[in-house]
Amino acid sequence: MELEQILAKQFGYTAFRPGQKEVIEAILEGKDVIALLPTGMGKSLCYQLPGYILHKPVLIVSPLLSLMQDQVEELKRFGEKRVVALNSFLTVSEKRYVLHFLEQFRFIFTSPEMLLQQQVQDKLSQMQLGLIVVDEAHCISQWGFDFRPDYLRIGQWFSQANRPPVLALSATATNKVVNDIRDTLSLDSPFEFLYNVDRSNIHLGRVVFEDREDKVHWIIQHIKETAGPGILYMSSRKRAEQYSEVLIQAGIRAAAYHAGFGAEDRQFIQQQFIDGELDWIVATNAFGMGINKSDIRQVIHETMPANVENYMQEIGRAGRDGHPALAILLYCDDDVELAKFVVTGDLPTSGHVDRYQELLNQQIQPSQMLKNGELSETAFRVLDYWLQQETMEQVKVRLNHLALEKYRAVNEMQKITQTKDCIRKQLVGYFGQELLKKPENCCENCGINYDEINKARLKEEKKIEMIPWKSRLKQLLMGF
Amino acid sequence: MFLQSFILILKMFILHFNINTIKLEEFASMFHQILLQIFQKLNNERSISAAYHVLRGKRSGQTIQDIGLFQLHNYFGLLPKLPRATFDEAVSLFSQDSWLIIQESGHYSMKKLGLQRAEQTPDFLFDGWHYRGNEHIFFARLSLIVQSLSYQSAGIRSFSPISRDTNIQSWVRTFLFEHNYQDGHLQQQLLEECESVLSELSLSEANKQLVLYRLSGYGLPGWTWQQLASERKEAVLDCQLAFIELLHVLLNEVHQTTDYPLLGNIAEELRVKALLTDSAQQTAYLYEQGYSLEQIMQIRKLKQSTIEDHLVELAMYEPNFSIGPFVSYKEAEKVWQASKQYQTKKLKTLHEVVEGMSYFQLKLVLAKGEV
Repeated sequence: MELEQILAKQFGYTAFRPGQKEVIEAILEGKDVIALLPTGMGKSLCYQLPGYILHKPVLIVSPLLSLMQDQVEELKRFGEKRVVALNSFLTVSEKRYVLHFLEQFRFIFTSPEMLLQQQVQDKLSQMQLGLIVVDEAHCISQWGFDFRPDYLRIGQWFSQANRPPVLALSATATNKVVNDIRDTLSLDSPFEFLYNVDRSNIHLGRVVFEDREDKVHWIIQHIKETAGPGILYMSSRKRAEQYSEVLIQAGIRAAAYHAGFGAEDRQFIQQQFIDGELDWIVATNAFGMGINKSDIRQVIHETMPANVENYMQEIGRAGRDGHPALAILLYCDDDVELAKFVVTGDLPTSGHVDRYQELLNQQIQPSQMLKNGELSETAFRVLDYWLQQETMEQVKVRLNHLALEKYRAVNEMQKITQTKDCIRKQLVGYFGQELLKKPENCCENCGINYDEINKARLKEEKKIEMIPWKSRLKQLLMGF
Repeated sequence: MFLQSFILILKMFILHFNINTIKLEEFASMFHQILLQIFQKLNNERSISAAYHVLRGKRSGQTIQDIGLFQLHNYFGLLPKLPRATFDEAVSLFSQDSWLIIQESGHYSMKKLGLQRAEQTPDFLFDGWHYRGNEHIFFARLSLIVQSLSYQSAGIRSFSPISRDTNIQSWVRTFLFEHNYQDGHLQQQLLEECESVLSELSLSEANKQLVLYRLSGYGLPGWTWQQLASERKEAVLDCQLAFIELLHVLLNEVHQTTDYPLLGNIAEELRVKALLTDSAQQTAYLYEQGYSLEQIMQIRKLKQSTIEDHLVELAMYEPNFSIGPFVSYKEAEKVWQASKQYQTKKLKTLHEVVEGMSYFQLKLVLAKGEV
């Protein structure tokens, strides 16, 4: 069967999106592949479709449990029943069952942590896999912005002879990160598909402020006058909540969104946004993973993101429908310090190294630090990994390097923020690509007229009112 | 100059005004009212933390005994994830307002004002003891059922399920098939049951509305706790408590009759029958087999005090359990007289007044209650 026929039959699509077909063909030829495709451009299809051709299970290694769950649900929605998530949420008996029948699944999702378990490795080595997918592959690289040490631990696992082809997927990665991915996964002269990172329908604005507090007024004014739907990205949960309060009071249909809310609440917000009941989401960078709304018209960053990769990913959520969208970056001099504070706040310090050793000496599990809330989960993972590999001194040097690296990433972002050159050219250049064509209203430096991109805000957006319980019950169940 | 100071005064006035309104809100807070009631019931005989453990549903011998002694069943395990900081904040407000005094030992004593306030609080209809958080399982099932039926009514077959929990998902799948949801009649049946049970409940319309807005369906997203709290002009925690209260009342109603077959099915096995901790359950089993306290200690490799706690728990919740083998009737009577005379259930006091009885014996007598 032709690839297009399978695409229509299994997924109901009529055409491939850019890159998908090239990647799938390379996989079917048995090649290793590195594919950099932006979020929302159908990355998952690159392994979903081969799953129906290869006749052997596809193993997908995914670092984020929530993302894994999204992907499992997505496949189930396409009517696939032979899909399973082998992760730490399973009970002992569920896990035994899944492992026993593992070769019968078409798609097996798992986490790097799980792959490290001996019984999982044993089972997998007895099986024949059709394809191994490493999702969010930038997490492999310690130069990446979301380094996951467990990926390094599984690196060896990929070096074994006669393994199936490996597909490394990421939304954003620089050359340095791509090199790391290639080496760590022992990829054999892989086919590389690098999607054009430039999104010409996203116009790049920037507004410079003297003082951070001046931004509040600007944001409220701007949001009052221009149309959404939009995302306002904030640097912390607390600020996201404060800003959403201010916007609501100003009569804007807005809500805060961050990882501190419960799963139902997060889904309610996403649904309200997609259904058009909300015009603005005031979010931390937790928002966006897996969100599927194509008509987002604006993305505003209240402050500079920690690195260029994050920035690209976040503005990339605008204008997926291809219509013009506006990304505005607000900037003041203090932002650099703030960004540096935020990025290193998540890193373990040399104090943590000492404390880890102290606990070991007292014969206490070092994970006690995590329970006490002395550091974040990510920080503990990094610390725990390196202290099992190296001496305390080496780890301290390494952590110092990591901090410097994060600072360097902030500086890169700052350069792009402050450039007098074309912002688009700088951004695309950061990812090792060349800008071929500048759109109209390209960026703040090339000349941009916000009014030509933004529509004015319609006044009749009415706040949704609560209705009596009996009516709501009837609406829910009967649809009227 | 004059204008400036006028504005300043105005600002101060506004500030003052704000403080007053905050105080009013505090008093109206359901969470604070519940805490006051618990403190009142604990009768100044426990530490501040005892109330915290009750709300979190701590399964320790001490907390379980407190529940029985001070009749705190309704409040047990209402907020399993209550942060200590939230609790401490409320307690320090109480002490600021002179509702109670906290002693260095961690004990407290209610002041007249606090007791008055406690008297003014409404009677809540919680039933924490019988549900222990299971109300959330009930609601997760109901949410997914309603969502599925809503999308079915709209003719849409795929959606992203509100509950990611695979246990809930497979439970709901079975439920839907067992009730032949393909026929398209389940919506009407469930609507009728929900409408009639909610109409039965003597709770406010606003609270019924609250629960309905935690459900979602096609084109009808639910509301977040924050959105509901700001609409109802109260704290998020109070919204959540009102929600839990309604579910407890609803579940009790559903359990009492056979009028609600669907809801009864959804509530299946969520009302806790075994009222003991698992460990106490095992001890109870051995005790009923005729093993002595010493033998049980050896078999279970547990300390004497632990086994004793289990027996106290048994005395409290098992009507057929006799304390006769451990305490004579005469001794028990003495304890009860002393407890009445000194207006206390404090073991230390009773141990001093009633001579020749162990703490274990005292606990047994108090747990069994007056004969």
